[in-house]
Amino acid sequence: MAERKEFKNKRFQILSEKPVNRHTYLKDWPEVGITAHDGVNDPKPSIKIENGLVVEMDGTRREDFDMIERFVADYFIDPEQAEKSMTMDSTAIAKMLVDICVPREEIIQIAKGFTPAKFKEVVTQLDECEIMMGIHKLRARKRPGNQCHCTNEPDNPVQMAADCAEARLRGFDEAEATTGVAPIAPLNSVALLVGGQVPNVGLLCQNAVEEAVELQLGMRGLTTYAETVSVYGTERVFADGDDTPWSKMFLASAYASRGLKLRFTSGSGSEVQMGAAEGKSMLYHEIKCIMLTRGAGVQGLQNGAVSCNGIAMSVAGGVNSVHMENLVTAMCDLENASSNDQIFSPSDLRRAARTFPLMWAGTDFIFSGYGCMPNYDNMFAGANFDSNDYDDYLVIQRDLVVDGGLRPVTEEEVTAVRNRAARAIQAVYREMGWPEITDEEVEAATYANGSRDMPPRDIRADLDAAREMMKQRVTGVDIIRALAKTGFEDIAERILKMQIHKIAGDFLHTSAIITPENKVLAAVNNLNDYQGPGTGYRLQFYPERWNEIKSIPQESSPEDYE
Amino acid sequence: MDAKNIEQIVKEVMKSMNNQGAPAQGNPGAKLTRRDFPLLEKRPELLRSRSGLGLNEINLDKVVKGEINAEDLTIHPETLEMHAQICEDMGRNQMAASFRRAAELTAVPDERILEIYDQLRPYRCTKQELLDIAEELETKYSAKMNAELVREAAEVYEQREMLR
Repeated sequence: MAERKEFKNKRFQILSEKPVNRHTYLKDWPEVGITAHDGVNDPKPSIKIENGLVVEMDGTRREDFDMIERFVADYFIDPEQAEKSMTMDSTAIAKMLVDICVPREEIIQIAKGFTPAKFKEVVTQLDECEIMMGIHKLRARKRPGNQCHCTNEPDNPVQMAADCAEARLRGFDEAEATTGVAPIAPLNSVALLVGGQVPNVGLLCQNAVEEAVELQLGMRGLTTYAETVSVYGTERVFADGDDTPWSKMFLASAYASRGLKLRFTSGSGSEVQMGAAEGKSMLYHEIKCIMLTRGAGVQGLQNGAVSCNGIAMSVAGGVNSVHMENLVTAMCDLENASSNDQIFSPSDLRRAARTFPLMWAGTDFIFSGYGCMPNYDNMFAGANFDSNDYDDYLVIQRDLVVDGGLRPVTEEEVTAVRNRAARAIQAVYREMGWPEITDEEVEAATYANGSRDMPPRDIRADLDAAREMMKQRVTGVDIIRALAKTGFEDIAERILKMQIHKIAGDFLHTSAIITPENKVLAAVNNLNDYQGPGTGYRLQFYPERWNEIKSIPQESSPEDYE
Repeated sequence: MDAKNIEQIVKEVMKSMNNQGAPAQGNPGAKLTRRDFPLLEKRPELLRSRSGLGLNEINLDKVVKGEINAEDLTIHPETLEMHAQICEDMGRNQMAASFRRAAELTAVPDERILEIYDQLRPYRCTKQELLDIAEELETKYSAKMNAELVREAAEVYEQREMLR
């Protein structure tokens, strides 16, 4: 990249030093797919169906389909519906998306008959405000939700358990771990499993690691769901990711067979980043990923550029187009974890502009995720929002009367749950014969902001324990027993309740979360029914929740001034 | 319209609303619908673990004593079928199919599932090896839908040159 230019004009010089100019901006290069939604090879919508079989889609004949196109044509498209939907005027459908008088279910039905190009032709007619209106109306679950990242740089289990407990207290519905060093994965899962159930029952936990390992952790009862199951929009990139739609479809059923919730992951930019965009736009490829996810029978998708947002958001209209992919996900009746995830810009204004529209529209998981620790501890290459932003986020919920999924907390409450989580994980390590967690570590984790406040641990000893625990087939049940035997029956009981959810299977459904009252809310019993003012999820219908949101500890009352 | 008429109408409406909200209880042949969801609250009597335990038989005490183990805490294939029916009621047919494939896979051991997943990845198997897996799924585990999935993969991989 070119060196930063020196300016003679002082205003230009000051502007050039602003964070917004520490990002790269790319001119469209549609021949290689560097374009939000104007690829030179983006096809026009078309469909031909013979005897219930799609024989042509978006100008490509069946014999020329690659495996992604074949999968989408055979598993997503409803041929009967396609005959109707494909003849409808795209502008008319785009208007229906934002028309409060057209119910959600009508749009969902029409979209079952779309080809990828038809989706693109419809959603690219909407402006930013209309996209958000569409998401507001079409997201699957009525109550919006939120997910956090929970990691730290040295893979410190005490801090991880304490952070996870605090995250649940602050209102997150899901927590996602990954690793600093890969073989530590099972111990990180244990930290979340234990810490997450400290304040109350219901936090869903995953561990983003290699696909087969991720499934294994779930099978052992150490996680409750999975998300990092990636899909791509071209055959070559899919194969480079060492999978096919069929292997992923099998994996999806494997998860359900063990009572584990699953969503796939995709996002604009992965194809162009891997040099195989075929001259098609980022949005066009992403739409195929979304359709493929529904076709495979998966309940939801994490998208919104996610880890490829560097490239997606460097092009003109990039953020707008990434919001379109969130909208298409909702149109496909899928749960949407709408990214707002990795850092893409050091500019506070830009990261806010990328994020807040989705908070106001509300998605199933506004973030996927929000860093529940400082940025330096984020092992997902940083998060767009993290623990340093908690208070800004809470005040913005209060300012705009919007439920962003978080709740204000006091220092006393946080201290109590962090300490209890740290003591519980200490007891589990002792009972399981894993490397000792000292009282000094418990104390540090209780008050820590991040791993720089923690005493160092012997990572090699923890790694040995992690390998040994996989060999010995330690399961969630062993952790329940360890907790019950060491005086943490309440946490043991809650983890058992999570295992019972795996028997019941309710939380396998679209957009499912588990409330602190141990109730499953999904887009079945909590289906979004927004149809304009007076309908849908709005805080005026939930006065207790609004009271919680508005009562930030920083508020002064008149008496304070007496 | 007099007050009596209104009362009559309100009663009718209330009755039909109640009917809508009632789960498909007492009608054994009927398919489950969204009204039965969540099963844990609405139809707990239908639920049992893969090993056959009813929900009221599962408690912390038994887990600690070792009377209940990890194998007991997994989903029963019939439960997955119930969820498939709820998906169909919601118009989510692909998810219903996935839950039915999952019901079949409850019979396949963890290790074998992980192996089959690995073999379904690109460039791992010859066509015959994939067809053998399909055969195994069908005959050994009665997993017909999964066998079909693997056979289709074999055909597509051959066409797209993704076999070993």
